[in-house]
Amino acid sequence: MSGEMVAADYYIPLIMFLVIGAIVPIGALAAVKIISPLKPTFQKGSTYEGGLRPVRDAIIQYNVQYYLFAIVFVIFDVEVLFLYPWIYVYASDVIPTLGGVNIAVIDMLIFIVVLLIGLLYAIKKEALRWV
Amino acid sequence: MVLSAITEFAAQEPKLYAFIIGLVGAAILASVINVGAMAVVWLERKVMGDLQARYGPNRVGGRWGILQLGADAIKLFTKEDIIPRGADKPVYVWAPIVASATTMLVAGAIPFGAVIIDGKEIPLVVANMDISALYVEAVLSLMAISAFMAGWSSNNKYSMLGAFRGVARMISYEVPMGVCVISVAIMAHSLNLVEIVQAQSIWFAVAQPLGFIIFTIALITDLGRMPFDQTEAEEEIIAGYNTEYSGIRFGLLYFQEYNSMLLGAILLVLLYLGGWNGPVIPVISFISPMIWFFMKLLIVLVALIWIRVSLLRFRIDQVTDLGWKVMLPLSMVNLAWAVAVGLYFA
Repeated sequence: MSGEMVAADYYIPLIMFLVIGAIVPIGALAAVKIISPLKPTFQKGSTYEGGLRPVRDAIIQYNVQYYLFAIVFVIFDVEVLFLYPWIYVYASDVIPTLGGVNIAVIDMLIFIVVLLIGLLYAIKKEALRWV
Repeated sequence: MVLSAITEFAAQEPKLYAFIIGLVGAAILASVINVGAMAVVWLERKVMGDLQARYGPNRVGGRWGILQLGADAIKLFTKEDIIPRGADKPVYVWAPIVASATTMLVAGAIPFGAVIIDGKEIPLVVANMDISALYVEAVLSLMAISAFMAGWSSNNKYSMLGAFRGVARMISYEVPMGVCVISVAIMAHSLNLVEIVQAQSIWFAVAQPLGFIIFTIALITDLGRMPFDQTEAEEEIIAGYNTEYSGIRFGLLYFQEYNSMLLGAILLVLLYLGGWNGPVIPVISFISPMIWFFMKLLIVLVALIWIRVSLLRFRIDQVTDLGWKVMLPLSMVNLAWAVAVGLYFA
């Protein structure tokens, strides 16, 4: 059913999905606004903390370890992004071979090994230790 | 022939066609997915009841409790809408809406089976993109954002912990999951979900069993189900990121979990279990792919519920360790396996 659609046209239906996906909960919230009772009291508006009165805000400064997690994740996610275009070229005939194996495969294997060394380093440095 | 007329219209007015099919498809799928998710909630409660030697829902709607979900929905709609005093109100209000919108974005690119017309297989998919596997994987990871929005804006310590855990868990399993999708794409020579299904003369679950196991575990983690539901571990952090949500707002967040469970199970069937492939059933050949698709989907769903009932919850540090130190290297092994098989045996 592709017809003459260009790649960008496939995103038009997805925008409609986004819009309808947002409209459904907004509609539900509007319906609740009409039919449900609303009697706010001071106690109802307090956050739950084991039944006691909540102490201080929950939005705090947090441990730097979380940033290390995030940085390691970014590195490896970008690596995965590099692998995606590689899917389309690794088996093509235009890329020269080395000893019967496509050079793109060898390149990518070297790339993966380097990254695994990086992962070992991150584990050794305890960047991935949960606090 | 209606089909050829549609194809002709699509060729002449591609943008209008895309707009119309998006609108119609979104309206249909929004109802199908929501009804499907209700069915999944019912299925889960019933199967869990059976597995735990109790009845499950059996009052509303006859012996099988079929109308239980309708009753629950009415209850949620008529409850008071409470927003906690300290909450960051815009973020708090938008979290369920973002959750629903991201789930629908996934639904737009996933094929929901296929039908056979005139001996030709027509997949039921709205946006049949070249990169739909990459797209689906990218949008699936957006789900962590709505969970983080809900947890952070509630201004509750337990919600905050749940949100931290959710993001840490998501980023630990995002990479192995992506590598698994790549391994599948290498064997199928395509990132298009329809072509991936068509390439599975042998199920990829058989061709790369390691990838199947890793992807299943990563999927359960992404969906936040037992044994990986640390974001809402009741015994540790009350209800995790949705502690402060009540009434319909809680209902929306809860419902999105089951929507994404349904979509995740469909993704597993498409990538590893041969999608709608199966022998054509003679008399009803028109819908025979749908029958195979739904049988596989049902088995996957029951398996997910079974896993939830059988296993105990891990600690969050065990989960992140498993993701980085075991799953990631193993997924690389699986990638090498897929390349070797793809180059020399395919």
